[in-house]
Amino acid sequence: MSGGIARGRLAEERKAWRKNHPHGFVAKPETGPDGAIDLMIWQCIIPGKSSTDWEGGYFPLTLHFSEDYPSKPPKCKFPQGFFHPNVYPSGTVCLSILNEDSGWRPAITVKQILVGIQDLLDQPNPADPAQTDGYQLFIQEPAEYKRRVRQQAKQYPPVL
Amino acid sequence: MDDNQISLGVEQEEIPDSFICCVCLDLLYKPIVLSCGHVSCFWCVHRSMSSLGQSQCPLCRHEYNHFPTICQMLHFLLLKKYPVAYKRRELQILEEEKRSGCFSPLLDAHGCSSQASQDLHIQNNGTAGPKQTHGGDYDGIGNVADEEKNFPLNMDSGSGDRISVADAICAACKQLSFHPVVLNCGHVYCESCIVKPDEQMLRCVVCQSSHPSGFPKICLVLGHFLEEQFPKEYALRRAAVQLKQADSKHENPNACATKADTQRKKLSPWSDQVHIRFGCDSCGMFPIIGDRYNCLDCFEKKGFDLCSHCYNTNSKLPGRFNQQHTPEHRFKLVRKDSIRNQLKLVIGDIDDISLALIIASISSEGTISPDAPEDAENRSAAHAPSTSSGDEQDESLTSD
Repeated sequence: MSGGIARGRLAEERKAWRKNHPHGFVAKPETGPDGAIDLMIWQCIIPGKSSTDWEGGYFPLTLHFSEDYPSKPPKCKFPQGFFHPNVYPSGTVCLSILNEDSGWRPAITVKQILVGIQDLLDQPNPADPAQTDGYQLFIQEPAEYKRRVRQQAKQYPPVL
Repeated sequence: MDDNQISLGVEQEEIPDSFICCVCLDLLYKPIVLSCGHVSCFWCVHRSMSSLGQSQCPLCRHEYNHFPTICQMLHFLLLKKYPVAYKRRELQILEEEKRSGCFSPLLDAHGCSSQASQDLHIQNNGTAGPKQTHGGDYDGIGNVADEEKNFPLNMDSGSGDRISVADAICAACKQLSFHPVVLNCGHVYCESCIVKPDEQMLRCVVCQSSHPSGFPKICLVLGHFLEEQFPKEYALRRAAVQLKQADSKHENPNACATKADTQRKKLSPWSDQVHIRFGCDSCGMFPIIGDRYNCLDCFEKKGFDLCSHCYNTNSKLPGRFNQQHTPEHRFKLVRKDSIRNQLKLVIGDIDDISLALIIASISSEGTISPDAPEDAENRSAAHAPSTSSGDEQDESLTSD
C-alpha cells in the first residue's frame, strides 16, 4: 500500500502553513497555467536573516516532492549557480536533514526545512562543500566571500 | 477530496498537536507506539519501515526491526475522546485499504486479543480494581458489563462515552498506567511495573509475546494525556510509585539493545538470511531474518509469513494485515530467493548485464553463514509439503 500519502500529507502541510508560518517566508504549491494546483512542487521564498550579510535578500527555493514523501525528503533547489558553499552548481541544497541516509525524518515539516535552510545560509558547513567557488572563498578569502554574499542578497530583492 | 467531509462541519473536536501523526499530519489512526515511545499511525509506521534492514522512528530515527502491534488502549481512548474525527479517519483509511486490497487489523473491543476486554473481565470478577472508587470522574467500573454487551451490536460503542480510568489501566498492576510504556505487542504497562529479566527478552504477561527492542521508553503522548484526563488519580499513582521505588531502591535498567539487534546490524540485506520485503505476522520482525515459513492457505495479497521462532512457538494468530489465518493452515519453509530475483523485487526491471555487474559487486562483499540453507532444507522435509526452491516468490507482498 505504497499508494502514497504524499499528497495527503502535503495537503496537511499546506493547511498548517496557512494557519501559521514564520515571518517573511513564502511557501506555496505551484499553480499551472490552467490554474490547477500541483502539490508536488512548492515555490518558496526564504528571507535572509536580519543582521547577517544575507539580510535583504529574498531567495527563491523550489521544493520537489516525490511520491515517496515523507519517507524520502524533498529535493530543495535554489536557482542554478546560487552562491553558497553547501549548494551544488545545479542549485540543489546539501544539508544533513535533507539527506535520507543521515538526518531526514518523516516528521520534519516544510516549515522546519525552510527554517533549516535559512540557518544554513549564514552558517555554512565547511565539512561538506558542494561547490568550489563558494567553498574556496569562504575558506580563503572571507572579505571577498562577504562581498559576494551581499551582492547576491541585492540580486534577490523582496517581491511584492 | 476529503476536504468535503471535513467541511460538513461535523468536526468540532479540537485535536491537540500531540495526537497528530508526525507522518500524515492527521489524527492518529490505529496508533502504534514504537519502543522509543513515539507514536504514529499503523500505515504510517508500516510505510516508513525499511524492507531491507533496520527501520528508524520517523520522529527520532531510533532504530528498530519489529513492526509493533497497534496499541489498543490508545486506539480506544482516541475513539472515545474524538469519535467524529476518528470515524472520519476510519472511513478515509478503509477507502484507501479497499483501493490497495490490503487491510489493517480489525479492532473490536470484544475481540479476544483486546487488552481492553480482558481487563474488563478481570474487573468484573472483582479480582482487581482501582482503589478510589469514589472519585467524581469515576463512572467506568459500574457499567462495564453493560458496555461490553453492547459492543458487538453497536459499532460506535466508544463514541460519546466518557473516558474512565478503566480505559487506561496497566496490564500488570491493573491501576491507572503511570509513566506508560507500550510493548511490541501493543499492551500498556507502567514503566515501574516492568521487570526485565536478566539476559532475556522482556515478555508481555498478557499475551506472552516477547518484546524484542530493549527496554521501552515512556510514551509521553499517552502519559501526558492520562495525567490531563485524570489529574487526581495520576498524582496518586505517582506518589505510590515513588514510595515503592524509594523502598526497594530499585531502578529500571536503561534501554539496551538486545544481542540480536546488534547482530542484525552487521547483516547485509543481500545475505542469504534476510528475506527482503517479508515480515513475520506474529512478532512483526521485518524483514524476516533466518528461516521464513509461508502459509500455503492464506489467499490474501499480503500472504502470511512467520519467522522460525514464531513458527516453532504457539503464536500463529492472527495476521498483521487482517489475514484470515487459522491454526489449521499449512506452511512451507521458504529459502531465500536468488540474488537475481531479490534485485528484481527491489529494482524492478533491469537488463541482464547490469544485473550481473551488481551481483558480482555484492557477492564480492561476502555473505554470511553458508551452512544455513542445507540446515533449513533438512528441517523443511519434516514440516511441510515443501517446494523450497524458493524461486517463485515474485507474487511479492508489498510489490507496488
